[in-house]
Amino acid sequence: MTIDSGRRPAAGEPVGDVGVTRPGPTRRPTSRPAWLGQHLGTAVVGAVAGYAVGHWLGNQIASAYPNTAGASGLNDTAVVLGLAFGVVGWLAGIGALNYPLAKLVGREPVTPEPQQGWMRYFKYSTDHKVVGMQYLVTVLVFFFTAGLLAMAIRTELLTPANHFFGPDIYIAVVGEHGTMMMMMASSAVVGPLGNYLVPLMIGSRRTAFPRVEAASYWFFAAGYLVILTALPLGGFPTGWTGYAPLQTQSAGGMDSYLVGFGVIGIGMILAGFNLAVTIIHFRAPGMTWNRVPVFVWSMLATAALLTLATPTLVAAGLFGVLDRTAQTAFYVTEHGGSQFLWQNLFWFFGHPEVYIMALPGFGIVAEMLPVFTRKPLFGYRVAAAGMLGVALLSFFVWQHHLFQSGINPDMRPLFMLTTELISIPTGFIFLVGLGTLYKARIRMEVPMLFALGMYFNFLIGGVTGVFLSDVPVNVTVHGSFFVMAHFHYTIMGGLIFALFGGIYYWTPKMTGRMLDQKWGKIHFWTMFVFFNLTFFPLFIVGLLGQPRRVFEYAANLQVWNDISSTGAFLLGASFLIFVGNVVWTMVINPRTAPANPWASNGLEWQTPTPVPYFNFERIPVVLNDPYHYGDPEPAPVADLGAGLAMAVAGATADPSTGLDPR
Amino acid sequence: MSAINPAPGIPGLIESPEEAEYELRAAEGSVWTGTRLAIGIVAFAFAGLAFAYFYLRSANNDQSWRPHGVTAPTDIGTSIVALTIAAGALALLGNVRLRRGLRADWQVAGWTVVATGLLVVALQIWELTRLRFFPGSSGYASCFIGWAAMNIALVLGATYWIETLLARGLRLRRALVEEGATPAALSAERLFRANAEGCTLFWGFTAAVAAFFWLLFYIF
Amino acid sequence: MPDAPAPRHFRRMVAVWFVLSAVTDPLFYFLAGPHIPPGKMTSSANGAQFDFNVLFIIALPVVIAVWVYLGYAIWTWRASRGGPEPVAGPYSRGHLGLQTGWISVSTVIVLGLFVFGTYELVVPAGAGGGEGPNPIWSPASKQILPVQVIAQQWMFTYRYPTYGGFETRNLVLPADTNVAFHVTSLDVIHDFWAYQLGVKADANPGQDDVAYTSTGSQLGRFMVRCDELCGIWHGAMYNTGHIESAAAFQSWATTQEQTLAATTKLLPPFAWTYTPDANGADGGFYPDNRDPYNKVEMYGAQKVTS
Repeated sequence: MTIDSGRRPAAGEPVGDVGVTRPGPTRRPTSRPAWLGQHLGTAVVGAVAGYAVGHWLGNQIASAYPNTAGASGLNDTAVVLGLAFGVVGWLAGIGALNYPLAKLVGREPVTPEPQQGWMRYFKYSTDHKVVGMQYLVTVLVFFFTAGLLAMAIRTELLTPANHFFGPDIYIAVVGEHGTMMMMMASSAVVGPLGNYLVPLMIGSRRTAFPRVEAASYWFFAAGYLVILTALPLGGFPTGWTGYAPLQTQSAGGMDSYLVGFGVIGIGMILAGFNLAVTIIHFRAPGMTWNRVPVFVWSMLATAALLTLATPTLVAAGLFGVLDRTAQTAFYVTEHGGSQFLWQNLFWFFGHPEVYIMALPGFGIVAEMLPVFTRKPLFGYRVAAAGMLGVALLSFFVWQHHLFQSGINPDMRPLFMLTTELISIPTGFIFLVGLGTLYKARIRMEVPMLFALGMYFNFLIGGVTGVFLSDVPVNVTVHGSFFVMAHFHYTIMGGLIFALFGGIYYWTPKMTGRMLDQKWGKIHFWTMFVFFNLTFFPLFIVGLLGQPRRVFEYAANLQVWNDISSTGAFLLGASFLIFVGNVVWTMVINPRTAPANPWASNGLEWQTPTPVPYFNFERIPVVLNDPYHYGDPEPAPVADLGAGLAMAVAGATADPSTGLDPR
Repeated sequence: MSAINPAPGIPGLIESPEEAEYELRAAEGSVWTGTRLAIGIVAFAFAGLAFAYFYLRSANNDQSWRPHGVTAPTDIGTSIVALTIAAGALALLGNVRLRRGLRADWQVAGWTVVATGLLVVALQIWELTRLRFFPGSSGYASCFIGWAAMNIALVLGATYWIETLLARGLRLRRALVEEGATPAALSAERLFRANAEGCTLFWGFTAAVAAFFWLLFYIF
Repeated sequence: MPDAPAPRHFRRMVAVWFVLSAVTDPLFYFLAGPHIPPGKMTSSANGAQFDFNVLFIIALPVVIAVWVYLGYAIWTWRASRGGPEPVAGPYSRGHLGLQTGWISVSTVIVLGLFVFGTYELVVPAGAGGGEGPNPIWSPASKQILPVQVIAQQWMFTYRYPTYGGFETRNLVLPADTNVAFHVTSLDVIHDFWAYQLGVKADANPGQDDVAYTSTGSQLGRFMVRCDELCGIWHGAMYNTGHIESAAAFQSWATTQEQTLAATTKLLPPFAWTYTPDANGADGGFYPDNRDPYNKVEMYGAQKVTS
């Protein structure tokens, strides 16, 4: 873990650490065409070359091993090494390894000058705004790919016993959909909005570790490609949970699953690491913990989970890879391993992961509500405490996924208690939202619709979660479509609704263009109605006895399944509205957005659009939290021309001292 | 750094000394927190391994946790842990010297740590070829292979960190000699010191991990 | 809010909420409640149904409260369409009493649910869930019919140890009897879900997972499905069981025992687990008895006697 100053030198600036004035290397002429140098194309070339090398190497090493990959006829060692080398080639191709290698001989960071134009989005960029946009597009691609797979699942489930797919294709599609969605959702908000907005919201010119941040994105993008390779490698039949011993038994697609989760996991760790440190240290002077926007609180809680829970997944994935290549027996009971080991390690990551996917949604809606109600956030401290409380408790609930698994029956009451306790801090988020609405001046703009929709959906998801935590009820609903509907209500209904709200809310800042509001409303209403049409029947289907991940079900459940499938296709269509809206208002008929279209007090809206490379011309001095709507004595949020107070801040390392915390 | 730092991207943006100082402090603090967070990350990964160790040991499925008390080659394993602890201690010692301004001492200690780290990695790989058990023969064997893989990654990472620091230290000294103690060089020096502190702590952590798992794999 | 004497919003909302809850809760309990899955076929099914209904009755007012509030807020405090852009709402940053009240109420509900859930788990002997090899909650009665459930890719078979250990693909249970399901697997993890019985237990290779229930007087069919993804034919892994009168069961079981006696002799002797170890399920995994991977010889592993 190396630390560099992260000041990005640019055209005209000597390259060096914190402005060490040393003659830099000869700079390339600025007229150099953008397609030269390292970009997505070279990354793909590197990935392909790396895969070939790794595959060859694996066959050299392990050709004498029994071929464990079964039907696909591939050697697992070759597949794993191919994918791993492919990721290394990808990183080398994009240029992520240039500095880490140059550093070995003491070289200075050679960062390309800040580029303009669309080509910068296809390059290794340490500008947090570019990284945010890269994440945003990748997340959407990830989401729509996995969404198409979801529609394939719903197609198969149109009829109880007639099949559109063979069982092998179907199970591969199910596993691929679940895994891709989980991978996508774990970075869905942290990646795009967290990276883009947190420095703006806390008044910083940069993130703490820009190169770590950039690397996190390229790991994330590599994870997308790695998990896609599962399909040509024969898919994996385990669903996203990857339970051993089925995991050990499965064909080559399982290697993509394990390596893919490892790669995504590293990306998650890096993203969380950078974000947590940035929030702790790069807050502007006066940005005390009492004034930090609540979205930043949610990012901090999420970052804590990302950094501390994900390493367990990476370790568990490593064990799985070793089982499949080096022939260890971590998950093989007959050889001194245990299939429960995977379940424990996986869910020790897996449950914090669930809150990695919930907390950012809470943050987004809590951030938007004051703007659209023209009121301060109700119970600011309760909101922050709720998020941290959820984050902390989420480490102590993982065994509720194993209530019926036959391990530790005596621990069930304890995990029932911790699981139910977590609904208390989650309830704080509702308290904050409802309290903010009280006697408000509610503007039903598109982001507000998504925020309210999120509250509606998450309520159902949360309440059904309490049903699941109750062990006797869990006996019936565990592993059924009830669970499936429950977590789609929390993740899709919660996080994804919040994310789309956030996209409508912040794109004027991020792109300088406004999405069409009328079509935005149509998108919201179609998405909201068809989301509920898709997933509400699945509660009923689950209660009536349909297990997850099946391709055949009882004939009497066809009506409910067909309603759900219809909803799913319409839900998919509703995203076409969104895509059309984006293409129309961003590309075909761009309309310049007002500087602050929602009249928000947030610090991020005080920057010019497009946001300059260094965000703030002067480091702002924060005077107030951004929720002073309706304050009889309104005060500015920040002093953006901060020469005066800078001196105060310069005298102390703690941004909070020397200024009235109010 | 001259008080005026031409900030690119925005024509005419001039960073005041206070701003530079503020960002430098933030960067120093980031190194401090980042080190601890990195230790937390690695600790959780190794906690996964420790969990696997204790879980499989207590389950003893098929009486195959550790049939006949198989042990990895103790002499190599003990050498590995001794060298890792020595490297950690040396990193600490070097940092104490660095704080007193004895830069050459730190360089010597540091390069020794690098050599020791590489030796540890080599030994760990060699040990894998000297095992008297098949990786899948027992729970112990599996955990040991996992430990070897993770330890190689950890020691390589720690060695990389201190190596880059040493290279940077050499370069910084050259800059100081060539250009004198400019404010820019001084701030670079401060960041470098913060990094050295963090790296030392990380090496101490690496040594602690080695000692802990040595106890698990060779003693108990 | 000192400056808002006119409408008592809070009172209105509470009134609407109270009426709605008071109507829907009994409606649900009396109309839907008796039909909530998994029905009343066994004690554990009955318990699951009761618990679900109790949770629903608690959850419904909570959901209604939020919905009423959201609806009321949007209805009442919405800025008028086309009107002037609203400048500001009241400047209230929190309400100590309200916050304390909310936290207290949610804590009380949660702790109450915990106590209730634990009682309903412990007293009915694990509520039909798999309790692992050493169940800590078991029925008081000593008269328990053991039925072994053997899951494998991709079917269930059943053995009746008290009837000579015959193995069959038909799951038949007597009425008015305590039943202990001993669930195990031969390959990967499956899950034995006897839907109408309210029984669910993971089938783990090498582990005997015990789940209890007691059948009532209701006879008839029930569905058995695999509830843990176990490979490509997971969706096709189901069959049907029957609850019959005690006498009918007795005659069925004894007949089966005699008819299948010859087959039973060929099966591995009845055991709680059958997972093949490195030496095969019964010491002879490889036909020529030349085991290329003999752990006993290679590593001195102790032979497992189950």
